[in-house]
Amino acid sequence: MRWLSKTRYKVGFLIPTCLVYVIFIIAPIAIAIGYSFTRYSGIGRARFIGLSNYVRLIHDPFFWKSGANTIIIFVVASVLLMILSFFIALLLNNKLRFIDLSKSLIFSPAIIAPIIVGIIWVYILDPKVGIINGLLKAIGLRGWAKQWIGGTVLSPYSIAIIYFWQQLGYLVTIFIAGLKMIPEEVLEAAQIDGATGWQRVRYVVIPMMRSTISTVAVLIITGIFKIFEIVQQTTGGGPNHLSETLVTYSYSMTFTSSDYGYGMSIASVTFLISLALTGLYFIFGRKGE
Amino acid sequence: MNRHNVVKTVAACLAGILSLGMLGACGNQGKDASGSTIIKFGIHVANPKKQEAVTYDIVQAFNKKHKGKYKVVFEASDKESHSKNMKLEASDGTLPQLFWIDASEAPEYSKSGALLDLRDFLKKNPSVAKAIAGGKDSFEDKQTGQYGLPYQSNVQGFFYNKGIIDKLGIPYPNDDTTYEQLMETLPKIKAGGYTPIAIGSKNSSYTMWEFNELLVRYGWQDNLKKIKAGKEQFNNPDFIKAFDKIEGLAKAGAFPENVSTIEYFDAKQQFNDGKAALFGSGQWDCAEFDSSLGDKVGFWWGPKFSDSSYDQNVSMRVPANPIVVNKAVGDDVAMKAGVYAFLKFYYGEEAAKMSYAKSTFPATNYPGLKATSSQYAMNEMLKALGKNWPSPASAPDLTLDAASQQALYDAIFGVIQGTYTPSAGLSKIDQAWKISHK
Amino acid sequence: MLAKRTKRIMYVLIAIITVLVVFPFIWMLVLSFKSNAEILSNPLALPHSLSWGNYVNALKTLDYPRLYANTFMVCLLALAIELVITFLSSFALARMVFDHPNLRRLVYGFLIAGLCVSPFILLFPVYKINIFFGLREQWALVFPYVASSISFNTLLFVGYLQALPPEIDEAAIIDGCSIWDLMIRIILPMTKPVIATVVIFNVLYMWNEYPFASVMLRRQADYTLAMGASFFKGTYTVDYGGIVASSVMIIIPELIFYGLFQKKIVGGMVAGAVKG
Repeated sequence: MRWLSKTRYKVGFLIPTCLVYVIFIIAPIAIAIGYSFTRYSGIGRARFIGLSNYVRLIHDPFFWKSGANTIIIFVVASVLLMILSFFIALLLNNKLRFIDLSKSLIFSPAIIAPIIVGIIWVYILDPKVGIINGLLKAIGLRGWAKQWIGGTVLSPYSIAIIYFWQQLGYLVTIFIAGLKMIPEEVLEAAQIDGATGWQRVRYVVIPMMRSTISTVAVLIITGIFKIFEIVQQTTGGGPNHLSETLVTYSYSMTFTSSDYGYGMSIASVTFLISLALTGLYFIFGRKGE
Repeated sequence: MNRHNVVKTVAACLAGILSLGMLGACGNQGKDASGSTIIKFGIHVANPKKQEAVTYDIVQAFNKKHKGKYKVVFEASDKESHSKNMKLEASDGTLPQLFWIDASEAPEYSKSGALLDLRDFLKKNPSVAKAIAGGKDSFEDKQTGQYGLPYQSNVQGFFYNKGIIDKLGIPYPNDDTTYEQLMETLPKIKAGGYTPIAIGSKNSSYTMWEFNELLVRYGWQDNLKKIKAGKEQFNNPDFIKAFDKIEGLAKAGAFPENVSTIEYFDAKQQFNDGKAALFGSGQWDCAEFDSSLGDKVGFWWGPKFSDSSYDQNVSMRVPANPIVVNKAVGDDVAMKAGVYAFLKFYYGEEAAKMSYAKSTFPATNYPGLKATSSQYAMNEMLKALGKNWPSPASAPDLTLDAASQQALYDAIFGVIQGTYTPSAGLSKIDQAWKISHK
Repeated sequence: MLAKRTKRIMYVLIAIITVLVVFPFIWMLVLSFKSNAEILSNPLALPHSLSWGNYVNALKTLDYPRLYANTFMVCLLALAIELVITFLSSFALARMVFDHPNLRRLVYGFLIAGLCVSPFILLFPVYKINIFFGLREQWALVFPYVASSISFNTLLFVGYLQALPPEIDEAAIIDGCSIWDLMIRIILPMTKPVIATVVIFNVLYMWNEYPFASVMLRRQADYTLAMGASFFKGTYTVDYGGIVASSVMIIIPELIFYGLFQKKIVGGMVAGAVKG
């Protein structure tokens, strides 16, 4: 292969992708970061103000609140997604009747526009008109009826659940694919050796699925930092920015308050956090391979 | 390792991308097939035929009248996208000839030199200037001139459901009803199983129209003047008293429990369905209430406050957000004539009649225009306006820059939802104001 | 193999999970048959009667053939470009020999990093870049879509291509294949499953994409499907019935599309994503 790996081929193959990527992803990020050092309403000229936006950000309680919400969503959604999608994949990897139907139904939420996902869930979680509280009250569990969305406490948890619902099928599909890669003989051998179901999962399946797990992890980490429409549709970040995530808060500052420079400083920080987490994962999480 | 080839490849790729771009780019002509001058009108709804029916009607009538000469076409997208789009188009000189813009953002456009000074238009059309009268003052700047004209007039306050109030046996609110009297009726309304005041904050924190009157009754204009001069702040005794009243209403359970997860539309539906006694809104909802409540709909400016030293006899007929004209129009004689012709028509008597027919108050005043007897909600408003109480030059929320405006909305709903004390909410406005006026 | 009891438990579990996941959908379908006022005032009740009003209304308001055609066109153009360029670059990254392995890792990491970017950070800058290059109308969307797909495609393609045994190349070279022969005649056909996966995920993304579409497209004649919902929500009015019905009409082709390619998705995943 070295024979064919001439530099001009390599460069020629890589250039188109890199060019589009640099022009439409990297340059815009650079521009956005540039604006984060300015005051800019979106109209007229941007004024350079140095690090003021970042100083303001450190003192902005809403920024910390949205950061905390993002962390809650991150922890809840990633734990749920990792564990449950893996076990559901194990379940769906059996040869049972209707299994294909079930697989495609479980995948289906992943194909609808996130904006519609938000609309659907409002009618499920809303404290007054939502079906959950309706059911709880109907069966006499009035005390269990909570402000799932729109209150000051539970919103980020609810958003994590919605995100979980939306991503479940997607990740289950990836896990099933990973399971299919494990040769039947290996599992059979383990069974003959007397391994119980759980032992087979623990000592055979999980180690053999390392790379699948890491793909899923990367998709989860990066995906959570892009959640937007779900929040916008369920709570709009309210009440009073208390259920904002970093992305929605940056959006609200940029486009609702016309404070483009400040909005971009939040967006830049968010991007760097997401990048750092993914990077850390690549460095430490995949060491075992 | 051949550097020459690398350069070549890069150049080829760039050329490829550019030529693809050219394929897509087609000329932007100012005329259509029949030779009419096309005037683009940027509007803040995606479907103007349904969502801004009055303006749609006026545009159709204008196009019919000037067939073959001028044609106004909408550049329409929902409010959020519209606001983004106008900013982007301002940066690359592709703004439509005429567009609606939020009052809080218009001064920025004006300062950046994107807007045409309309004093020339008003001078050439004295009848329009007279009909708009004071409505144009809030869009005038000493340096950049008349940068916009009001899109419509907004009449804002509380609508109430006479059916519910009759049933509960309490008196209708009137011009002299006080805050204390309103508070007394709340338990009765609640006991009847109704929401006293329907309101929703989700993605609709701008829907605080009923509180504009409250702010004016606590001296909004005087205080704002002082704030602008740096002698006062929002967190001042007057505004704290005003916000205390909102807190009082909230604590008495005047607002829906799920105020933070319902939108303006859901709140309005509660009122339409006869589940809420009062609803804060404006003339844009008149037609809807005519069909849902009919002659049971009433209109009220809101309560008077005995602990305020400011004039309580104020009404709230205020200029809506402005429409503005692209500066480039001034350099194109034919286009300028077309835009002027359209503005003249838009602010003319014929258009005003079309406005009244759909229960919308135009920005203009022409004597003798009336609503028909089945326009119940509008007639209620006309009755309230009949006292000829003065209105402020502009609704309080439209006097602020975008960030402070958002902070005002957040503060009001924060107090309603109990996440802010009145003074904490007001401090938030001060913070936003400081940052915007650095 | 499985004991009867285990099997029964599995069926029950699968049934419960499936129903839970599908429920919101069913419920949206139910909502689409209710009038706007019914949705707002009594969302929990079943519709009074099976009314097609929302669908009729949605069909009247929106020019569906045009929306579908526009969306399809953008998808097609973006897919064509991105598949070619990302296949080439992934081939280079996965199978060609680099003198400095770290350089390879650096380029790979650089391309993957795009997964972390939220589209909102890009809106304003990309708009200006489009203008700079004279990209308008549909083309203003095509390149941002191509760019957004690069990271995901690279992740999948490189993973898949790396897993193909190196002996293939050696055999091809011994047979006297050029790099083009090797890539197009030998490797490409073996890549079909992962291409299917990439196509499916990219189409789903573009079909639903709203932020870029709402900013880049000016003329209603160019609008894509995802922008349909905005036609039902004005400043003072909203037609939830219309929104729900139009959403259902956007989803149905997606479900059919997914149904047709369902087997391929899993197949492609087996081949691609899991080897990353």
